[in-house]
Amino acid sequence: MNSKMSQEPVEIIMIEDDEGHARLIEKNIRRAGVNNRITPFTNGTDAVSFLFGPDGSAATNKNKPLLILLDLNLPDMTGVDILGRVKSNEHLKRIPVVVLTTTDDATEIQRCYDLGCNVYITKPVDYENFANAIRQLGLFFSVIQVPATN
Amino acid sequence: MPTSFSTNRNLAQPLLLLAGFALLIGISIGTLWLVDRAADDARSVAHTLRVQDMMSNVLLNMRRAEAGQRGYLFTEASRYLDDYNDAGPAAEEQLRLVREQTADNPRRKGELDAIERTMNGKFAEMDRSIELTKAGNRDAARTFVLGDRGRELMNDLRQQIEKLIDDEGRLLTERNEASQRTNRWLLILTILGAALVVVVGGIAVLLMRRNVAQREAARQELAVINANLERIVEFRTADLVEANEEIQRFAYIVSHDLRSPLVNIMGFTSELEALRKDIFDEIGKLRAQLDELNAHAAAQATPVETLGKDFDEALGFIKTSIAKMDRLINAVLKLSREGRRQFNPETIDMNEMLGSIEQTVAHRAAEQEAKVTIDDLPAVESDRLAIEQIFSNLIDNALKYGRTSEPSRIAVTGHANAAYVSFDVSDNGRGIDPHDHQRVFELFRRSGVQDKPGEGIGLAHVRALVRRMGGTLKLKSELGKGSTFTVTLPRRWTENTRSIA
Repeated sequence: MNSKMSQEPVEIIMIEDDEGHARLIEKNIRRAGVNNRITPFTNGTDAVSFLFGPDGSAATNKNKPLLILLDLNLPDMTGVDILGRVKSNEHLKRIPVVVLTTTDDATEIQRCYDLGCNVYITKPVDYENFANAIRQLGLFFSVIQVPATN
Repeated sequence: MPTSFSTNRNLAQPLLLLAGFALLIGISIGTLWLVDRAADDARSVAHTLRVQDMMSNVLLNMRRAEAGQRGYLFTEASRYLDDYNDAGPAAEEQLRLVREQTADNPRRKGELDAIERTMNGKFAEMDRSIELTKAGNRDAARTFVLGDRGRELMNDLRQQIEKLIDDEGRLLTERNEASQRTNRWLLILTILGAALVVVVGGIAVLLMRRNVAQREAARQELAVINANLERIVEFRTADLVEANEEIQRFAYIVSHDLRSPLVNIMGFTSELEALRKDIFDEIGKLRAQLDELNAHAAAQATPVETLGKDFDEALGFIKTSIAKMDRLINAVLKLSREGRRQFNPETIDMNEMLGSIEQTVAHRAAEQEAKVTIDDLPAVESDRLAIEQIFSNLIDNALKYGRTSEPSRIAVTGHANAAYVSFDVSDNGRGIDPHDHQRVFELFRRSGVQDKPGEGIGLAHVRALVRRMGGTLKLKSELGKGSTFTVTLPRRWTENTRSIA
């Protein structure tokens, strides 16, 4: 994955409470030839404290090229909250956020895009479709430009 | 309040009024009768007075005649004779008039006859004395008069007439009394009538006021009951709506959360499948090596192909089950989503809609040689998508479950009344066992020979939609004789039409 604005390789933050899903997503991203570091979080609290740091300002992630893979159904909070906070934070708002979830409810999709989500993908139950979707996402990761946080 | 009581009172009021009016009418008739009688009384009094007057005149004229006779006898002047000749017929004329007036009184007739006899006697006596005088026989006349016959006759006459006048006077008193009585009665009756009018009027006003008060009380009671009822209905409706929404949310959450592990099961099963190839390749290679070392053991081992087949079978079952589960979950999800979807009512040309549905199934229908006929259908104001789904499903089912022995005939007919429109979707297909008429509308339930793919969702979906639109869905069907689904919908759907179902 390229990053013109930063010399560091892009780090993928995967917020997904289901470890099985996380594993399948990682497998298929790797199969697409993406070797960037993937940092998994299985709950919202840990992910938020990583993203926003101890003081909640996200200053710790300044100048880091990040990409967020976000599930909406988390045990401790909804992914929509995290999305809203990321997109309204001075340092994190330019991070591409890919919502990857089982919900295909139209109002939910609309709400995510309204909040600034960049891509919304529904996890298909059919594994072939699932694997295909993730692999294409991986291919997409390998070509997109990600700005560093600032 | 008890019904019998109020019924009695309801009956008592008009009866009371009726009695009041009957009394009034009675009093009016009585008054009229009394007035008539008073007039009669007045007439008889006048009559009596007239008779008395006439009788007095008779006596007066008789006296005048006597005076004339005496004057003549005394003076022999013919003018006294004129007086006599004038008064005599006048007395007779008066008597005749009295006879006319009292023709209805036989007793009076006898009395008058007696009077007339006396009068005639008197006239005869007077004529005789005048004749004697005229003949110049004054002494004989004087002797004749001195015989006192004339005086006695005149006394008799006076007594007779006075008796009659007295008699009439008595009658007058009686009649006057009767007249007074009548007048008293008239007065009493009039006062009674007036009092009764006041009483009946008062009762009527009282009854009316009580009626009005009762009506007002009933109206208020009704208003209170209505308000209560409305509140109860509101509560119940709110409860039901809430329960319904909760079920919808529950269905959505459950189906959604069930999907999540399914992704894993499916995913790792597929991963296993991918691994299988590697494992069996490895086993194949190991077997080959083993064959070289120990031919006997290799012969006893299960062939790799059999192992692979069992493995594939197990994976196959897992995968089809997952796929099925996914379809079921999707169905629940779809129903729950439909249940939450906002309806947008608009006027729908049903002919146009059924026409376009027919177009979409035209290809399939042609393949099966099926024929779809659509009658002239009434328009309906409702949600377009929901209506389309209802009829698409019904026509789809009709096409799907035809009989092999003859081509399908599907007919859509409709009619409307003031508030509702009904549509019949009939086919000549395989029909549904009456036993299963309830079942086919349940989710995931099907009926009859399971030779067509399907999850048992369509009719459940249709029924949920029809109910949400405040309509009903009825089925008439016999096994082997086709089915008729009747969809009845409100002509105009509004938010309030929504039925809790």
